[in-house]
Amino acid sequence: MLLGYGASLLEGAALTLVVAMASLAIALALGLLGAIAKLSRLRLLRWPAEAYTTLIRAVPDLVMMLTVFYGGQLLVNQLGDHFGWGFIDIDPFIAGVLTIGFIFGAYFTEVFRGAVLAVPPGQREAALAFGMTSRQVLTRVVGPQMLRHALPGLSNNWLVMIKSTAIVSVIGLSDLMNRASQAAGATREPFLFYLAAGGIYLAFTSLSELGFAWLQRRLGVGTRRVQM
Amino acid sequence: MSRRRQLVSLAAWASLSLLAAAGAHAQSPGWSKIRVGVEGAYPPFSEVGTDGKLKGFDIDIANALCAHLKAECVLVPQEWDGMIPALQARKFDAIVASMAITEERKKAVNFTDKYYNTPAWLVGKVGTPPDQSAAAWKGKRIGVQRTTTHDRYVTQYFKGSEIVRYAKQDEVFLDLAAGRIDAMLCDSIAADQGFIKKPMGKGFAPIGPAIDDPAIFGTGSGIAVRKADTDLQKKLNEAIAGIRANGAYKKIQDKYFDFDVYGK
Repeated sequence: MLLGYGASLLEGAALTLVVAMASLAIALALGLLGAIAKLSRLRLLRWPAEAYTTLIRAVPDLVMMLTVFYGGQLLVNQLGDHFGWGFIDIDPFIAGVLTIGFIFGAYFTEVFRGAVLAVPPGQREAALAFGMTSRQVLTRVVGPQMLRHALPGLSNNWLVMIKSTAIVSVIGLSDLMNRASQAAGATREPFLFYLAAGGIYLAFTSLSELGFAWLQRRLGVGTRRVQM
Repeated sequence: MSRRRQLVSLAAWASLSLLAAAGAHAQSPGWSKIRVGVEGAYPPFSEVGTDGKLKGFDIDIANALCAHLKAECVLVPQEWDGMIPALQARKFDAIVASMAITEERKKAVNFTDKYYNTPAWLVGKVGTPPDQSAAAWKGKRIGVQRTTTHDRYVTQYFKGSEIVRYAKQDEVFLDLAAGRIDAMLCDSIAADQGFIKKPMGKGFAPIGPAIDDPAIFGTGSGIAVRKADTDLQKKLNEAIAGIRANGAYKKIQDKYFDFDVYGK
């Protein structure tokens, strides 16, 4: 299949998925923390979160990736030499996952922040009036409702993220894009291989959309859908 | 910047590098393991096979040198553009990627003796007049792989031409076949085996004689190591002489070429 490069492409596709999933975990964690910090009453928390989202949304992904991989390595080397740790290698997988997770954490921050604000303040006030602790308010009232509002934004960002993983190929990670480009180079058939890679990305995103549609129904239980 | 913000950004950097370090491993001393940077997009010297594995002349030479030194060889694929920066950042310890030994590069890295030396070719459509003067190529488009010696040559001698620079040699081949450029300057073997002898290179041929200008093309392809690693440089030199002497080099050469690539 695919002039013998089929298996190689599938391996790359598997790595792309792993990178995307690992980055998602980091991005979700950072997004939640970021949203909490941004909505906090404390300036000490709000400002760094503001700086984080402003910075990340302003700098291109590729620039971040190369900065962490090459620049980060030089920094770690200097620290290592200074403190006598010896050589520590930032491997491309770690650098790639951290960078993508870090970038999308900023977008998820905005998604979660918007979703929390979309929950009517009366909900929170009513819960407090019932005597719930602020933790209970978060896990029982604001949290579940927030998730429903966040879902469209999350699904959108996840789709963009799957595609963004393609930039890890520039730091030498053998992801789908990297394998496709190698196969295209070796066989001189760029159209075939980039088309195949495009098809695999399309399959990933389509499956994700199905998953998100299901989640949307689950989280929307009890709310009325708009009827045309 | 306020003091507090400085601290926050410092903490962010520190935690990022700590996280990175957690997934990292330290290097073993004494060169029992040599990490070699290779390109993987420069057939027939370096390419990726259908099984996803690296193969080619450079790859075999790297493995033979490690075997000769009884060292473990770890091949690290690296885009050509970042080859020397990655060596400096200690992503690997040596570059075996058909890198020409030039004065300019010697400012940044140390080279071993050459392990092969072949001239460059100007390649275009069959029937192009064999004229290599700048005047003949005025206004024409010439493709090269960027930051190579070939790039330097066309930049210096084909001032009136439009020079199109690519990240990979593969891409130069593709665009020449697609008619986006009128000619390319590249290594004669890469052009012959990687392009002209393949189906897509049909109808293309070298234009004029082979070009060999030591001032630009240097003295052949060598293995680059960091300036500090003179012990590795010495070991690799011994290994090159060793595989030249014991026939391992010839065996690899005969696998790919029917002539002497080592040169004079």
